[in-house]
Amino acid sequence: MRNSVLVMFLLIVVALLSVDRSQAADVSCFKCHDPARFTGKVVHKPVADARCDVCHNPHVARYKGLLRQRQDVLCYSCHRQQEKAFARGVVHDPVARGNCSACHAPHAGSRKGLIRDDPAADCFACHKELPEKYQVTHRPYAEGRCMSCHRPHQADNLQLLAGDSDHLCLSCHELAELEKGHEDFPSKLKNCLSCHNPHGSERAGLIRNVLHQPFKDGCGSCHDGSAGLGMANCLKCHPDVQEQMLAPHSHLSQTNGNSCLNCHSPHAGDDDNLLKGPERLLCASCHGQTMAGYRQSRYRHSDIQDCSGCHEVHGSRNLAMLKGDGNGVCVQCHETQGKFTHPVGPGVLDRFTGQMVTCVSCHNPMGTEFEYHLVREGKKALCIVCHRAY
Amino acid sequence: MVKLLNRGAFIVSLIIAMLSTGCLAEGKTVSGWAWQRVLKQDRFQDAMQMPTAMFVDAEKGHYYVVDSGRNRLLSFNRQGELLNIFNAGRALQTPFDMVKTGVGGIWVVEKGKNSLSYIDLKARTVTPATLYFKGTLVYPDRIESAGSMLYVLDKATGSIISYDSDLVAKTRFSCSDCGTGFVDFKIHGKRIWALDQQGKAVYRFRLDGTREAVIQLGDTVNFPVSLDIGPSGYIYVLDRHARDVAVYDKGGVFKYRFLGKGISRGQLYYPVEIRFDPWGGLCVVDEGNARVEIFTR
Repeated sequence: MRNSVLVMFLLIVVALLSVDRSQAADVSCFKCHDPARFTGKVVHKPVADARCDVCHNPHVARYKGLLRQRQDVLCYSCHRQQEKAFARGVVHDPVARGNCSACHAPHAGSRKGLIRDDPAADCFACHKELPEKYQVTHRPYAEGRCMSCHRPHQADNLQLLAGDSDHLCLSCHELAELEKGHEDFPSKLKNCLSCHNPHGSERAGLIRNVLHQPFKDGCGSCHDGSAGLGMANCLKCHPDVQEQMLAPHSHLSQTNGNSCLNCHSPHAGDDDNLLKGPERLLCASCHGQTMAGYRQSRYRHSDIQDCSGCHEVHGSRNLAMLKGDGNGVCVQCHETQGKFTHPVGPGVLDRFTGQMVTCVSCHNPMGTEFEYHLVREGKKALCIVCHRAY
Repeated sequence: MVKLLNRGAFIVSLIIAMLSTGCLAEGKTVSGWAWQRVLKQDRFQDAMQMPTAMFVDAEKGHYYVVDSGRNRLLSFNRQGELLNIFNAGRALQTPFDMVKTGVGGIWVVEKGKNSLSYIDLKARTVTPATLYFKGTLVYPDRIESAGSMLYVLDKATGSIISYDSDLVAKTRFSCSDCGTGFVDFKIHGKRIWALDQQGKAVYRFRLDGTREAVIQLGDTVNFPVSLDIGPSGYIYVLDRHARDVAVYDKGGVFKYRFLGKGISRGQLYYPVEIRFDPWGGLCVVDEGNARVEIFTR
């Protein structure tokens, strides 16, 4: 009798274990979650296999949506090749942050690669600085075909272009046609983006909105065969910049003999500074690791729009090319700080170095792993660097 | 058996603890470098501000530090004691680098005047000179000397130009394929070793201008700003953002790194230059901590 009960018990256990767990999960999930929301022209394989449990824990999880792991960890557990490929070069911010679902639907969709139905809307959701349309709008931009020129995951350039910019232009525009429209061009037709905005502008021919005066005066004002095209030519009209370049730290550096052209277009730009692109992208072209460190820091100064809010762009007599000492920069915005907190300023000297204690003695706006972007843990470790007797 | 397992677990946890405190990870125990002394102005009210370079007079056994923020030069003996503070009668404008000549003069890069200035210590005169290369204005940054020749890094082009004692330009050492050019160089073993910051590489030239080798540093450095060659031929690279020194063998194979961020003794804040003294000490000029620290093995 006892043996038959034991056999019966074992049979029940085996039967329970042999039930397809995914089917069970599937049945349970769709009791509450409308199955219609998980169907489409393209269905993600785990969904098609009714394996909700591949990504979700039905009971409890640390991650939003009851995800078993961080989103990118889950995705890369199957898409292993992509993980390697997306780590190379300049990585698009959502990819770097592991936010695959910013652009991809995780369950089902109508497009290949489970790209969401309106990919341009996904782009604009982050790139809020871009207008929906311009007075004169480039056709691919107007049609929301961002991927005509850009790569969504990573590229070897900061703009995430799918190739050399001139080459991209020529993939639609016939060279012979372009040459007809550039009869006075002083050299072989090249470097389209130096004058044209590939998204749009207020001017015909997508010429950038702000024109450099010599460019307005005509190509011959610089490209006359006699005037040099080096930095000295620029500094003739911008002596204030030369003054800044004589600081201990400056952005003088080689680019085809003219440091100015590292950041500025000599022809036309989208703002009064004639920058060759958004400031943060320009800075990142040399300071990429600094920007990545900022982005990846757990605690960092928020609302930093442009590096030039704190840093001089041409030259500086301060550390890290700041606009002032470690207090002067911060009080531009934090007017009351330093008046009631830890003493800072010229009368407060660091006992190790004799240097003035400033906001940046304790805080690193570029990001740290500690709350208030302190340079060390703030309850004790930071304080005892100086106050060792405590 | 249980005791053995417990002992094993203890050893493993000890290793993990050491790694987690950065003891092994930072290479401090494997590098063998130890803090030896500091060059700084002890009176806080007169402390250096943003020192940018140093020079060692092997014959006299003196260290010279360029105090860029206070427009002066400081000299120290081998024990690190301050000997003299010199501002050339307040004539210096943002001095940045210097070399001492064998005849009692000093060449100083003055950023404020965009000049290479000669200080005649006996005549008590400062003579600024504007440099050119093939008619183009040069922006002096770093300077080294070898024999009667001066070697000047032009910040505007990132190239190194050699000048004779009359400041006539002779040879240019450049790299057309290295982004923004060189940011530092040293002369060692009749070779110029130049640091390409953006390309993260070290270029080696003969003094006649021939490029001999390009040594890639790869991702072992973040923001390299200075280099020197150690007595054994190893390459030492100062990483300003990592606040440490990365060490490579002659072939450019990464060996180890040492030092770390901070304000305490032996720590770096905004380091700007490294230089070996003739006695095997590695001197690190730290703008942020306003001092030069010397490390020995």
